[in-house]
Amino acid sequence: MKRRNLILSGLGLTGALVVGWGFMPPRSRMGQPDNMLLTEGDVALNGWIKIAKDGSVVMAMHRSDMGQGIHNALAMLVAEELDVPLKSIRLEQAGHDAIYGNVAMFVGTLPFHPLKSEGTDKPLMVKTGEWMVSKVARELGVNATGGSSSVKDAWENLRMAAATAKASLLLSAADQWKLPVKELRVTDGLVTHASGKSANYGELAKGAAAQTPANVVLKDRKDWRVIGQATPRADVPAKTNGTAVFGMDIRLPNMLFASIVQVPQMGGSLSSIEVQDAMAMPGVVKCVQLSSAAGSAPGYAVIAKSTWHAQQAAQKVKAQWVQRKEGAIDTKRIESELQDKLKTESGFTFYELGDVAKAEAGAARVIQAQYKAPYLAHATMEPMNCTAQFKDGQLEIWAPTQVPGLARAAAAKVADLSKDKVKLNVTLLGGGFGRRLEVDVVVQATQLAMAANGAPVQLVWSREQDMTHDYYRPMHVAQLSAAVNGQGQVESLQIKSAGDAISPRWMSRVLPALSGPIDAPDKTTAEGLFDLPYGFAHQRMAHVSTKMGVPIGFWRSVGHSHNAFFSESFIDELAFESKQDPLAFRLALLKNAPRYAAVLKLATEKAKWGSALPAGHAHGVALHESFGSIVAQVAEVSMQGGMPRVHRVVCAIDCGTVVNPGTVAQQVESSVIFALTAALYGQIDIQEGVVQQNNFTNYPLVSMAQSPVVETWIVPSNSAPEGVGEPAVPPLAPAVANAMYKLTGKRLRSLPLVA
Amino acid sequence: MNLTVNGNNVTLEVDPQMPLLWVLRDSMNLTGTKFGCGVAACGACTVHKDGQPVRSCVTPVSSVAGANINTIESLGTSEKPHPLQLAWIAEQVPQCGYCQSGMLMAAAALLARKPKPTDADIDEAMTNLCRCGTYQRVRAAIHRAAGAQA
Repeated sequence: MKRRNLILSGLGLTGALVVGWGFMPPRSRMGQPDNMLLTEGDVALNGWIKIAKDGSVVMAMHRSDMGQGIHNALAMLVAEELDVPLKSIRLEQAGHDAIYGNVAMFVGTLPFHPLKSEGTDKPLMVKTGEWMVSKVARELGVNATGGSSSVKDAWENLRMAAATAKASLLLSAADQWKLPVKELRVTDGLVTHASGKSANYGELAKGAAAQTPANVVLKDRKDWRVIGQATPRADVPAKTNGTAVFGMDIRLPNMLFASIVQVPQMGGSLSSIEVQDAMAMPGVVKCVQLSSAAGSAPGYAVIAKSTWHAQQAAQKVKAQWVQRKEGAIDTKRIESELQDKLKTESGFTFYELGDVAKAEAGAARVIQAQYKAPYLAHATMEPMNCTAQFKDGQLEIWAPTQVPGLARAAAAKVADLSKDKVKLNVTLLGGGFGRRLEVDVVVQATQLAMAANGAPVQLVWSREQDMTHDYYRPMHVAQLSAAVNGQGQVESLQIKSAGDAISPRWMSRVLPALSGPIDAPDKTTAEGLFDLPYGFAHQRMAHVSTKMGVPIGFWRSVGHSHNAFFSESFIDELAFESKQDPLAFRLALLKNAPRYAAVLKLATEKAKWGSALPAGHAHGVALHESFGSIVAQVAEVSMQGGMPRVHRVVCAIDCGTVVNPGTVAQQVESSVIFALTAALYGQIDIQEGVVQQNNFTNYPLVSMAQSPVVETWIVPSNSAPEGVGEPAVPPLAPAVANAMYKLTGKRLRSLPLVA
Repeated sequence: MNLTVNGNNVTLEVDPQMPLLWVLRDSMNLTGTKFGCGVAACGACTVHKDGQPVRSCVTPVSSVAGANINTIESLGTSEKPHPLQLAWIAEQVPQCGYCQSGMLMAAAALLARKPKPTDADIDEAMTNLCRCGTYQRVRAAIHRAAGAQA
């Protein structure tokens, strides 16, 4: 495919197929008062802000909190522009209107090179692509929390909604007091005038609703009092006393509990079940066969009076399973197929510069390496679960989900109800990492609720079901090569990788209306390979897209999570092959990428790169951009019994304007530990179609004793906010592997890192 | 069966083999104690049995009859929070928060046994898993609470 087709491929993801291009302009994301829930005594001023009688603020919360602190960060934007204390803001789950959709996440799927698309001075093709995808995404209104996009997406429109609400409240006071609006002041939600007049927002709200302020401007950053301050999270106290409500903590009158068994053979089916023994178990109410919908695996569930009774009885069901007709899935075979495809297929070229073939043909030598990464499970601490009740023609769902609108649509479809008969309540999420962008457990709980005679049913997966029925981070294999000239300089970089593309599979499960018969090239396969900042004269990055049959999904930092390991390890190889220090080698290649160089310099300065370390310790470094943010990490590593021990990770991040530096540090720490688990232990194997790892005993997580000290340094920036939840994941594995090379002399090209 | 949970005597009709975790969560609606793995590997279900940390997902309820069971719901009150709860807030420990009940109960048992734990003590006692990677803040919060208790 030619380069000019690339832009269309990016659009394909959000659905160039969408008909009826009656787009919503950006300003209409402010919404209307009736987008908000009508509540006694409160006055809605737009689709985001309601004012209560006491002057407190109710804000529509459209994003899911899975630990990233987004509820706090978005409330901070409102507190800033409304001039109210953060603690006077209450959250109300947003409805399903298109204004709550995520535009930034979809714009992030465009396959543009970051050096050509950052800042305000963008090439026409980039501007056009972003404009078109924004329009499509606004129309789609898909409410999703993912792609490290929530602050980026809310940055303009949420602040504008709050600023407009404040302007209305001020106009209301000016009218009431017959005073010029410019003489009014606001402090902590109290409007005052030098004459001594004062009123809180609650007293002004009714009058404000009738106002239509014009020319509202956002605060200048020098006037910010909230944005940029490390701000304690409002959700923390409830998370220290057991009162925080996760999906599994929903309790309703007469509630029943369900346990599930899904087909153990991936892609297989259920041929028959015998339920007599299970039905004879104590506390059992019903056995339900579950059909596949929205990508869920088929199986059965037992409904009982407690989760434990349901689990015990589920073991007693005798089931006959059938392998998929294409033959049993096996990860060893997939790995060799991917290696073969790298040799036989050219793939889709995501980026090309100069003439790589010529550079390699004329090179003094060509350095080559093959890298690979395994399938990975998400393993959220809160296993998959969902609660549902079908009563009087209405379906109500309580779900820890990253996609409330898609989950509601999938539930309506499986229940054969119109969407307005389905209410979906989003709970707190006990981890997400992309797993809760899927709706499988929601359609299963819906099927159970439909069979439960009006009783609410809580379906909780066992850890074993959770780990063996994930949508896995796909395995990838990559071939990398570099041409070295007679002077020892690296002239070219060529990367070809092979593996499954996630986006088209995810679309077919949760957005089937937009899923086409042919897969468009998926940026997430090649991100972290085609978009590197290094100034090699000749470059080519291609991806061979496969369909191996394993259910695959978005896993924190997606393609970057393995591609950064491939690219940043290979860059390190090139540094050593060129007999240069890995830092100096990178900096020399970053002359045209000053933001990247600055981040790399900050991390290495803070880590004291090049200084003496304790005997047996070494530093490894890696640099990577993802979700608009640039991250450099220096890992201090030693070897203990053949395994790496990571003592300290110094991290520098340029994520544009920071809303809450406290949560940026939290997310960096979280990403490092999440990535370290994958780097040291993460591997899902499938034999005869069955996932071999099924609990933390054979899919271990890094624990307290193995945790490094993580230091976070934020690069000051006045640019718009970029992603924070994921960008510190990708550089960790290569930073550790690069340190291990210094310690052992052995280059590890496969994850997990086993010396 | 008679149980003492958070200082209250309760009589329940339950299967003696039922794990304490599910008795707490499904029979008593004490949902602060979490289910994570079912095999005592993650510690999300940690509660105190006579002050000792136990993993309630593998503890048959019959084995705790007559014992004093304490869950996260009784670690402190809003008027008188446990020093660890204050330290957890000061250090901004929780992210998703799902594992934190178990973390706090394990930490409370550690401090009761060792009021001034070393890093090695913490490594040894705090084997609970956290997928959000809050370990460094958990450690800092335990040290902070230990200092506050002195």
